[in-house]
Amino acid sequence: MARMKFLCDSDRCIECNACVTACKNEHEVPWGINRRRVVTLNDGLPGERSVSMACMHCTDAPCAAVCPVNCFYTTADGVVLHSKDLCIGCGYCFYACPFGAPQYPKVGNFGSRGKMDKCTYCAGGPEDDRTAAEYSKYGRNRLAEGKLPLCAEMCSTKALLAGDGDIIAEIYKERVAKRGYGSGAWGWKVAYKDSVAL
Amino acid sequence: MLIKRKTDQTRRGARASVFASAGAVALDRRSFLARSGLAAGGLAALGSLTFGGVRKAEAGPVAANVPIVRKKNMCTHCSVGCSVIAEVQNGVWVGQEPCWESPINRGTHCAKGAASRELVKGERRLKSPMKLVDGQWQKISWDVALDEISKKMLEIREKSGPDSVYLLGSAKFTNEAAYLFRKFAAFWGTNSVDHQARICHSTTVAGVANTWGYGAQTNSYNDIRNAKTVIFMGSNAAEAHPVSLQHILAGKEQQRANMFVFDPRFTRTAAHATEYVRFRSGTDIPVIWGMLYHIFQNGWEDKEFIAQRVYGMDLVRKEVEKWTPEEVEKVTGIPGEQLKRVAETFAKQRPSTFIWCMGGTQHTVGTANVRAYCTLLLATGNVGQFGTGANIFRGHTNVQGATDLGLDIGTLPLYYGLAEGAWKHWARVWEVDYNYLLGRFVDKKMMEAAGIPSTRWFDAVLLPKDQVDQKDNVKAMVVMGHGGNTIPRMTESAQGLEKLDLLVVADPHPTTFAVLSGRKNGTYLLPVCTSFEMDGSRTASNRSLQWGEKVVEPIFESKNDYEIIYRLSQKLGFGEPMFKNIKVVNNQPVPEDILREINRGGLSTGYSGQSPERLKEHMANQGSFDLVTLKAADGPSKGEYYGLPWPCWGTPEHKHPGTHTLYNTHLHVKDGGGTFRARFGVVYEEPQADGSKKKINMLSEGSYSKGSEITDGYPEFTYGVLKKLGWDIDLRPNEIETIMKIGGNNPDAVGWAIDLSAGIIRVALEHGCIPYGNGKARANAWNLPDPIPVHREPIYTSRPELVAKYPTRPDGKQFRVPNIGLSIQKAAVEKGIAKEFPIILTSGRLVEYEGGGEETRSNPWLAELQQDMFVEINPVDARARGISDGQWVWVNGPAGGTKARVKALVTERVGRGVAFMPFHFAGWFQGVDQRSKYPQGADPVVLGESVNGVTTYGYDPVTGMHEGKATLCQISAA
Amino acid sequence: MVLQFIRAMRILVLAAFVAFSALIVAPAAQAQQGAVRPTEQSLKEADLLKALKSGESVAGRVTIPDRKSGNLIQPEGQEWRVFKTDTLPRVGAIAILGMLVLLGVFYAVRGRIMIDSGRSGQVIERFGAFDRFVHWLTAVSFILLAISGLNITFGRSLVLPVLGAEAFTALSVFGKLVHNYVGFAFMVGVVLTLLIWVKDNIPSGIDVQWLARFGGLWHKGDHPPAKRFNAGQKGIFWSVVIGGALMSISGLHLLFPNSVDGGIAEVQWQSMIHGVVAMVMVAIILAHIYIGSVGMEGAKEAMTSGEVDLNWAKEHHSLWVEDVLKERGNAVVHPTGKVAAAE
Repeated sequence: MARMKFLCDSDRCIECNACVTACKNEHEVPWGINRRRVVTLNDGLPGERSVSMACMHCTDAPCAAVCPVNCFYTTADGVVLHSKDLCIGCGYCFYACPFGAPQYPKVGNFGSRGKMDKCTYCAGGPEDDRTAAEYSKYGRNRLAEGKLPLCAEMCSTKALLAGDGDIIAEIYKERVAKRGYGSGAWGWKVAYKDSVAL
Repeated sequence: MLIKRKTDQTRRGARASVFASAGAVALDRRSFLARSGLAAGGLAALGSLTFGGVRKAEAGPVAANVPIVRKKNMCTHCSVGCSVIAEVQNGVWVGQEPCWESPINRGTHCAKGAASRELVKGERRLKSPMKLVDGQWQKISWDVALDEISKKMLEIREKSGPDSVYLLGSAKFTNEAAYLFRKFAAFWGTNSVDHQARICHSTTVAGVANTWGYGAQTNSYNDIRNAKTVIFMGSNAAEAHPVSLQHILAGKEQQRANMFVFDPRFTRTAAHATEYVRFRSGTDIPVIWGMLYHIFQNGWEDKEFIAQRVYGMDLVRKEVEKWTPEEVEKVTGIPGEQLKRVAETFAKQRPSTFIWCMGGTQHTVGTANVRAYCTLLLATGNVGQFGTGANIFRGHTNVQGATDLGLDIGTLPLYYGLAEGAWKHWARVWEVDYNYLLGRFVDKKMMEAAGIPSTRWFDAVLLPKDQVDQKDNVKAMVVMGHGGNTIPRMTESAQGLEKLDLLVVADPHPTTFAVLSGRKNGTYLLPVCTSFEMDGSRTASNRSLQWGEKVVEPIFESKNDYEIIYRLSQKLGFGEPMFKNIKVVNNQPVPEDILREINRGGLSTGYSGQSPERLKEHMANQGSFDLVTLKAADGPSKGEYYGLPWPCWGTPEHKHPGTHTLYNTHLHVKDGGGTFRARFGVVYEEPQADGSKKKINMLSEGSYSKGSEITDGYPEFTYGVLKKLGWDIDLRPNEIETIMKIGGNNPDAVGWAIDLSAGIIRVALEHGCIPYGNGKARANAWNLPDPIPVHREPIYTSRPELVAKYPTRPDGKQFRVPNIGLSIQKAAVEKGIAKEFPIILTSGRLVEYEGGGEETRSNPWLAELQQDMFVEINPVDARARGISDGQWVWVNGPAGGTKARVKALVTERVGRGVAFMPFHFAGWFQGVDQRSKYPQGADPVVLGESVNGVTTYGYDPVTGMHEGKATLCQISAA
Repeated sequence: MVLQFIRAMRILVLAAFVAFSALIVAPAAQAQQGAVRPTEQSLKEADLLKALKSGESVAGRVTIPDRKSGNLIQPEGQEWRVFKTDTLPRVGAIAILGMLVLLGVFYAVRGRIMIDSGRSGQVIERFGAFDRFVHWLTAVSFILLAISGLNITFGRSLVLPVLGAEAFTALSVFGKLVHNYVGFAFMVGVVLTLLIWVKDNIPSGIDVQWLARFGGLWHKGDHPPAKRFNAGQKGIFWSVVIGGALMSISGLHLLFPNSVDGGIAEVQWQSMIHGVVAMVMVAIILAHIYIGSVGMEGAKEAMTSGEVDLNWAKEHHSLWVEDVLKERGNAVVHPTGKVAAAE
């Protein structure tokens, strides 16, 4: 069974933000919502590394666990999706998320965050695949078109990998073996209780 | 229930089986691996690929039941040349897909490329022609606009001569548009036609061409995968050319290569280096000479290579001797040991390549810097081989092509120069009388005099008439696709704009030129479409030409460059002769026809083989080109290099494959091989200390390209040379006829570059010889101001005590205007400017924005990521000034009381005493927000201060390149 | 002399040795120190996570203005998740169910506490209109908040299966709106409660006696003396005031998350305080409701008509009745159903 994951090889990531704008482009994500972002650690220092981060589609996802209305669901591919029809915008998923993935259309005061928005792994939402209703709420459903998330597909240096977790882990391992260094599969331990043995 | 739908086992299982059985419609293994980012091969240990989640495409993605048309074009930003796939529905660009087949980007993009689609949604685009009437923007029609503009131009021509109209073109033009604009200038009668290459790599082109023949990247982005050692110097490719890093980092991994980044700033590129070397801005030559010091001392140089293919290395040796490790450390700040280590690695762990960008070129010593880099490559034998070379990363999508096609004040298209022979060549190509062209100019002298560089146009407006070497000051400016904030001394630029009688800004967006000055009238904005809205070819940095398809019709009332140039030329009265051989349909010159005309005349640079048909064939079969060699393994273009990188010799029918790596003697010339160009004569008489002259053989000695019938150096081919070799018998009758016609009384003198039949080229190649000859590269470029590069301190230096020993070049006059750098440097030292302005100010790019930034700052997907202009300042300097991260500060420039209000970014990226500002911002000027001055709805989303509001005087004497990387400033809390 | 020479030589040799080793070491150390090798020195995720202390996150710089999004990995969320899905429901269940059980047991054992001396037919004004308004403002808002709040914790397992997803979301959205706005009414209620009753709720020596006898609730006929509020009521008062304050402050933080400086960790803390205090308060208020309604004859009138039977008052607030009668005379006492005579 394919289990979709993201893996950012930060030894390749150059903080070019292609993943961010590809996502904006593909899903017409409005200003202020960043389904994906790139964080630079140790900025300007010798150990500096940038990591592209979005929803990691966790195993046993905390967002799903804490959601008071149970609007999350995990697909057979391991993709964590949610229903905007059910979301009440309470913000709990944001409190629970280890990766800061959930986004809200409004500034968030007075409980008026609006419906939560996050990375869908380009897999849409509960509506029928590739319908206008699905597109307007969640953006394009690339998985249904036989494609992978555009952020990873367009990653300038092929740092951001998407696809079956075992395969991308294998790709990463091969890279690390070939080049002799690797700063780790960022977020895997927290998201999947698993890391890529290097 | 909705939750069940997606986890429905039966439905999902059904899809999985579709995938398993019909790999062609879903993801097959190969495309999965491509999508997952793995290069071909590997992963063999993995058995079956369970990929149940990927489903077969069922219907259209955005609007159901509307057919999708896929169009392929190129990203319009940097020079890497990433292919863009556009999905178009009902004439609207609705989706952007990765172009996996392109060997250059393999589906990937940077932030800008991935946001391309917004350019043709264009909420902030200029929607119709506008005219400034008493300070208010008024909408006008195209006809009225072109009528009024042409009338005014003719008026100025009448009164002040054609040189008073300044033509500024664009590195974003297609090749065809660039060529047309250059041709337009020729027919109008001026050489003052320039574009962004001036401020980008003009010094590279001059430096490199003066070293070994052609002014371009010798290898390619892809070829860096072969390198074992890579040096970046003044290049932050991670931000300026992000997709290039795909090749570089993959190569670094696979070769376990050394990657050194030399930069005053710890950049995103430096973060991936194996070793980072910080040095003081503007001291490139001491750094390189410091490396060569160790190389020569230890005998690490490639002696055979130097003996066979290089002239003047002994003279370099003498200069290098002065640069002991102590002196180098004193001037540059790099410890001797570190430099020795880098030098040894570069010389020994070959192939080594050297990458540079604006950090090297934008200096008063830009050309000399470039020459020093080339010398390092020559000394270590790192040119003309895979994995080596001068990998010059150019800035804009078509800055290479626009440079090639002569958007340059010093040459006609394809580097023919401005001499009578060049004009006569192009007159023959254009099928117009030479005397007609001569008549368009003030006189023959002006026809052959280089024009005014884009860095100095305002000086040509503002200086007293007698200081500008032409009939009158510049009175009008026509800008097509050039930002107004990318050139220093913007306060003077604003004054210059105010003094112009006519200002025409043709651009998809109102650029800084539109708002910078206090102009009230005589200003026109013309909406031009982007390259996504037109057909045409563009040349990537690696010299590959790629043909872009029109994705959608120009949006709003915008028009493409071809039509605007055509209609303007008609109004100005030279449309007929100019478009004599170019078909025009509905006011639209056909780009394929323009390219064919380029092919006919472009022999000198091998722009002659890339017919539109061949280029389109490459675009249609991108997948057949190899990732590393760029050579097609199969398909209709088998054996050819991707995009027929110039030189692609002869006619399209000769089927030359293009040249992936320049000067590569390991290949046959018919397979893209070559030698250093015999451009500097056969014998050079080198002046000696005693006044005598030593004769030097400038042809290569014992080195030649694979399969050459002449196994030694040889001069460039002429009909006469062919006759001497007895090879003239291979010429076909029609070729001889053409040669005779061109040669008149002296057919023997007809050279390969002007033989319109391409017969001389054909015959030379048949004999395994390169038409331009087999010469030596020059470490000593005797025709340049500093034939051997010498260190010269920046005009505004932080080390005034070094000025006495390393002053800038004496005042002089270049390109019709004075260059008083030394006077200004002396005054700055005397006034103690470095005490008052103790921080070195350097500038550069951000990945999200490009150039002047109007296009990218208008794109909300990009603009959101960089919302404020900032200055990077070291924590120590910030603390000393009471500045905290994110706070507003004033950056004050050292000349003219200039200032900029920006946000502080307190970071260790910059060293102590160094500040960095990006140059893409505009719309605030000297602390004032100018948003209200933009036409309504066409103001960029993000505005900010321009770094060039505070940068200062300083020009390279060879090209007029500005000093953009080393000046001084002071920073204080706002 | 010789000795001196040897000593001098020794020093010289030593100095030379030191200098020599410095010569050898210095350039190497310098090179090592000066060299920046980004690939070699790269951060490792595993090291960062290991070094992470509780409440910290792996954070860096982002270019977007939302600086909080610079938090890359914050494992804290996991702990909060355990709190939300495990701890809080458990605390809530124990507190609420425990209280209900206690009350049930108490009712079974003690039954309804009657007015020992029977109704007198005479009533005395205990709470004026404003007092009662404040009480009910606080009470109604609290109940609405409690229900909508409990829905957030327990609705998913208790209500959702009954109503179905869509209806439950509709209910929860309504509940959220109610919670967000009624919260302000509750806050007003709490502040007024404090202002009007604090003077009668200062703990005193009598309270000790009262508590020692458990308010006389165990034994029929046992009536420890009390002023206007007995120790039990004081407990409720202070629970409402202190608990209400905690609820209000944490609630305001949750309502205005952008005003929170501490970032996500602080929001998590606030929500934990909010949840636990809420559960405890619900339990306490359940007891309050019990004793004010079914648990005791004659108590509910205090907050309905505001007038209580004189015998009830004498039994439960003997000192208060004395005080009132002393102060205002018999005029405050009048037969049931009659309005007290105007003064």
